[in-house]
Amino acid sequence: MHLLHFPLVVIRVAFPSILSASLLLKHYHGGHVVIRLALGGCTNRPFYRIVAAYNKRARDSKHIEQLGSFDPLPNLYNEKLVSLNFQRIKYWIACGAHPTKPVAKLLGLSGFFPLHPMTVTKAERLRKTAAQKEALGAPEEGSEEASESKPETA
Amino acid sequence: MAAFRVTRCLIRDSARLRNVEQKSAVVFRCARRTLSSESANNSPTDGRSPQFSDEEVQNILTKITGLDLQKAFRPVKQELKPPTYRLMTDAQLAEATQKAIQVAKERLKMPPVLSERKLIDDVLAEDKFLEGLETVKYVFTDITYNIPHRERFIVIREPDGTLRKATWEERDRMVQLYFPREGRRLTPPPVFKEENLKVVFLQDRHEDILDLCLVQFEPDSPDYRRVHNLTYEDIDKHGKYDLPCSTRHFGGMVWYLVNGKKIDGLLIDMIQRDLIQDAASVIHLYHMLHPQGSAAKEAGEQQAQGIDLVKIFARTESQKAGYVELALQAYQETSTERSAQSSSP
Repeated sequence: MHLLHFPLVVIRVAFPSILSASLLLKHYHGGHVVIRLALGGCTNRPFYRIVAAYNKRARDSKHIEQLGSFDPLPNLYNEKLVSLNFQRIKYWIACGAHPTKPVAKLLGLSGFFPLHPMTVTKAERLRKTAAQKEALGAPEEGSEEASESKPETA
Repeated sequence: MAAFRVTRCLIRDSARLRNVEQKSAVVFRCARRTLSSESANNSPTDGRSPQFSDEEVQNILTKITGLDLQKAFRPVKQELKPPTYRLMTDAQLAEATQKAIQVAKERLKMPPVLSERKLIDDVLAEDKFLEGLETVKYVFTDITYNIPHRERFIVIREPDGTLRKATWEERDRMVQLYFPREGRRLTPPPVFKEENLKVVFLQDRHEDILDLCLVQFEPDSPDYRRVHNLTYEDIDKHGKYDLPCSTRHFGGMVWYLVNGKKIDGLLIDMIQRDLIQDAASVIHLYHMLHPQGSAAKEAGEQQAQGIDLVKIFARTESQKAGYVELALQAYQETSTERSAQSSSP
């Protein structure tokens, strides 16, 4: 914890273009840069900023650069708004930043990355459960119709 | 004393109008940023009909618009500031007037007239297996700073899995959200609906609505075109040609009327104001745009200038020929009277 205070002074100096990425990352012992969602907003109203930050930092605390935003609640036009600064995202990925799962999924949905495998898997699982429900629903309906017709005739 | 008052007015108004200038400067800066990919000057020698942005056309339209300093710098609603007074020599006053004329010319720069934008209908990917995963659309906007808004990537992932480019309305909304422009609202104000526009026209506030339209919409959006066309039609119907005169919307109006072949009212109004040269310029523009008409051919044969052009047009292609000829007669009578009066003593 103590050691972290010293590199902080260096990190506050002006960033990327002059100092190389490896120089930056060496000062943070064992850490790496991540592109992740930092939560903001109010109670019952989340809002995420897509942010390049050091791995060891707190989720919402000081980041290196904000690369975009994500609003998880749909607006009047039934849209979830995501903004992405592709130029800077490209730069940070080139520097060796790791995107987290939700960010990778968003980037996959946007077309910047290929689709995340979990997105595809989730879609398949959803379709499987939907198909199973339909299959369950069909014999149930059959038995319901039979039981309905019996009291009518009786 | 009078000169002092005029100077004070000019300086105060030109200082006050810096805000509006900035707005118009923003408009033109943004227009240049957004239209960076379009070509600047289309010369008429390409064989196409003359476009609004041709040098000749622009010269004619600027000449017709005129430069009424009093109207260009009339008081605009702004925050109250105490006026600044300056003591000047005659030379300095002349300099200040020159500067004011420059500022007025900037304000009178015509907004561009573009053809309507084509619909965007581009599908980037169709991933049908994603159907059912979401019930909402995802809108992805690229917020890289240094790209023109027209070239920005704005894509939408629909709930059924298709990744498509955003339509123009969605694009405008997103760009306004992430790069807000002063004066522009996310949803267009209800004043642009037909019924409300009628009320605005009754109040003779055509200029204000056109300025608002310029700030709110892009020049090639259908809403912009619709509002402008309605305004010009109304001006034409009621003959209120002095409203946009000496403002930057006059050129656009003349262009619309000439394209629609409705210049009779405008000509009558100009003749009644003794602006024969301007009327001749309008007809010259008309011949440039419709060279196959009978009026154009006759004028070409006779190499007519000035008032003769007007006479030929009144005889051949005008719809309100009677009115135009009456106005011409009245003008000629008054001009002979005036020359008689000036020559007699």
